[in-house]
Amino acid sequence: MQHAKFIARTVLVKDGNVDAAAKVVNKLLSADGIFDTFRRTRFYEKPYQMRRRINYQKCKAVYDEDMSRKIQFILRKNRKDPFPGCY
Amino acid sequence: MLKQFINSTIVKSTVPFSNLLISRVGTAQGGASPNICLVESSCSRSFHSSAPRSKEKDRKYYVQTSLPRDEGTEGERSIGIDRAHRRKDIFPDENTPDLIFDGLKFKNLPIMNIRVTKNNTILSLSDAKGVVKLLRSCGMEGFKNARKGTNIAAQAAGITIGKKALEIGVSSVRINVRGLGPGRLASIKGLEMTGLNIVSITDSTRCSETPPRPRKQRKI
Repeated sequence: MQHAKFIARTVLVKDGNVDAAAKVVNKLLSADGIFDTFRRTRFYEKPYQMRRRINYQKCKAVYDEDMSRKIQFILRKNRKDPFPGCY
Repeated sequence: MLKQFINSTIVKSTVPFSNLLISRVGTAQGGASPNICLVESSCSRSFHSSAPRSKEKDRKYYVQTSLPRDEGTEGERSIGIDRAHRRKDIFPDENTPDLIFDGLKFKNLPIMNIRVTKNNTILSLSDAKGVVKLLRSCGMEGFKNARKGTNIAAQAAGITIGKKALEIGVSSVRINVRGLGPGRLASIKGLEMTGLNIVSITDSTRCSETPPRPRKQRKI
């Protein structure tokens, strides 16, 4: 898909703060995984490496989901004992 | 004669991390009279019978302890407290191309294209249609070989091209960055130091999930 240049992946500089704008660009590209893809595709990734990476990512996604659910459970509000097990 | 030879030979074992080594050596005649040699190791390093093993270890240690490469991706992993990226007004919308900056519409502003690689940084100033007016790189600054791929060289190149741009009457530019490397942020900083008005920063790093087959991996 073609994106309009200077509209997509663009951050306007506000109040002459160029450094902050550059950091925002970096942060957004990193969050979208563009840097990761770029770094990964510099050299050929052998099929066994791709399998291993994807399996690792699957496991990590499952773990992260469970862990975030646990954290949300502990941090939930409107409960009788706010910190169970702590006095 | 064989027995004498074995007795006079100090038997070395390849078992590392052992101060006292006992080796049992039999003679060629069916082990009738085994000799027991006690060898005390005085060195604390692990002993390898082949040289490349120790070299490999040194190399791994060097790679692990060396500093990470600067790719100009500062702010990549940071967690923003002020949440600058949540501001709505820093992103362009459908009216942005017609906004006036320095007497010119945004879409007609000159473009500073920055091509960043691991080993060099090339800056070129072009007009809105893409016709190049100025070009400057780290190599042209006088930095040669590995020094081209440093943030200092990129900053010097940025300062030079920024001054030249001001001389030819360009005061406001859009920045278009491509690639990752040490010059990514440093060249922008150099441009900023010259007093050039930077209106926007765009990234146009070419990135595909399924590119043509890249070169084979480096063996480090």
